[in-house]
Amino acid sequence: MTPASRRLVFAATLAAVAAALGAAPAGAQQPSAAPTLPALPSLSGLWLVQDPGSNNWSAWYNNVPAPALRPEIVTDNDAIAAREAAGEVVNRAPRRADCPVGNLPMMMASSPALDIVAARDEVLMAPESGRARFIYTDGRSHPNTKDPAYVPSGFGHSIGRWEGDTLVVDTIGFPPRVCDSRRPVMVTPGGGRAKETTRLVERFRLRDPDTLEVTFTWDDATVFLKPHTYSYTFKRVPFGNPVEGGGDEPPPREFITDKVAN
Amino acid sequence: MRTATVILAAVVAASSPSWVRAQAPRPDFSGYWELRVDSFHVPRAALTAQAAGRLDEQAARDADALARCVPIGMPAVMDDRAPIDVRHAPTVMGIVAPSPSSTRHIYTDGRPHPDEDELEGTTNGHSSGRWEGDVLVVDTVGFSERGVTRVPGGGFRTPRSRLVERYRLLENGRRLSVVFTWTDPGVFQAPHTYEFRYYRAARPREPRLTNCIPDQERTRFLTGRPEAK
Repeated sequence: MTPASRRLVFAATLAAVAAALGAAPAGAQQPSAAPTLPALPSLSGLWLVQDPGSNNWSAWYNNVPAPALRPEIVTDNDAIAAREAAGEVVNRAPRRADCPVGNLPMMMASSPALDIVAARDEVLMAPESGRARFIYTDGRSHPNTKDPAYVPSGFGHSIGRWEGDTLVVDTIGFPPRVCDSRRPVMVTPGGGRAKETTRLVERFRLRDPDTLEVTFTWDDATVFLKPHTYSYTFKRVPFGNPVEGGGDEPPPREFITDKVAN
Repeated sequence: MRTATVILAAVVAASSPSWVRAQAPRPDFSGYWELRVDSFHVPRAALTAQAAGRLDEQAARDADALARCVPIGMPAVMDDRAPIDVRHAPTVMGIVAPSPSSTRHIYTDGRPHPDEDELEGTTNGHSSGRWEGDVLVVDTVGFSERGVTRVPGGGFRTPRSRLVERYRLLENGRRLSVVFTWTDPGVFQAPHTYEFRYYRAARPREPRLTNCIPDQERTRFLTGRPEAK
């Protein structure tokens, strides 16, 4: 190789490295001017779901207008209830890396405060400081959830749009099964199902600055005889700071050993 | 016509208490941001003798936290192996890292830190931000001892640590600079300052959350980031 061609190769290599360092990756939208914060309805904050007075979790979870369910779902619910009555109340399914993460209907009904960060192109929504839902408001569409490459999560895939001051969220792509030996399907309030054929539409609207109303409509011809709609009311926790959970931290080994020994 | 539209928009915004906007147009740091090989401007930290003697022990605790799927926390959240997701609303900024971690919240609604006796330590600490022109200055205290505590350049965070960050957009919003300054009299001889310059990144692949399986996460996390130069 001549010195001139060596210089050429060196220059080409430098250019390639510089491009790798500085080039925008495919799909990254590069702004032409520094973006500024938009005005948005103030959904951001910590919100506590308001339970009208149920005595326990099951009563609260099912304290919604009764859904019109297909007969096979009713039969399956009866079977689940019978197994629970017989004492099958502990989830014995092993956690594997491919188990779907999360459970949207259960999270939205749970007592840990719902933590919302409503930004321009995406809304973060999770219990306290956990991680859960990403609601895309950047105009993207759903992926092809029938593609074998699609990996479903228990939060589905959510896209949202603003209709005035209402955030309308469309979610599909739930998993057909979950890793739970007691009920290996995702059960929605009132006894429905969220699965690969299910669509959920939610409408988030501030009734006043400190009251958030969320209306849920579940639709799936293999589960419901007609769409199932109910609403929750949330109250803002003013200047609330989310608590941190243990994440996926397992209990200390000595705790497990003690329980086994006893 | 344009003036009328602006006035109408201002009236609508002012009459609706449910809409909020930062008081003046402020930079929006939202986006997926990634670190590349030239993103790190990290000098070596000057550690106290006490801290230098604890490095091995602290590294073992970090490794154990990874193996047990404890939320990694700060500063590892800002130094994750894949793009971090920054979502900036007028009153709060949320930051999500791909590794097992809690969502980081930076409040810009004027709230102070909780009183010391009410401050429950977390892996990310409690963060309040204020604007200095186009720079968001973030003050964080209230760290716990859990998670991955190592600080780029050397040292580690403790419940006595304070972190001040300065966020600003560069190159018309194509890059994000964050300058970190740690102080902790038990760890650093002097404030330890370094800078990360992030690149705006493509959308991450779905699903963005995966189950953390104990004893497998450590291998995924340890990617050998450059520590100091």
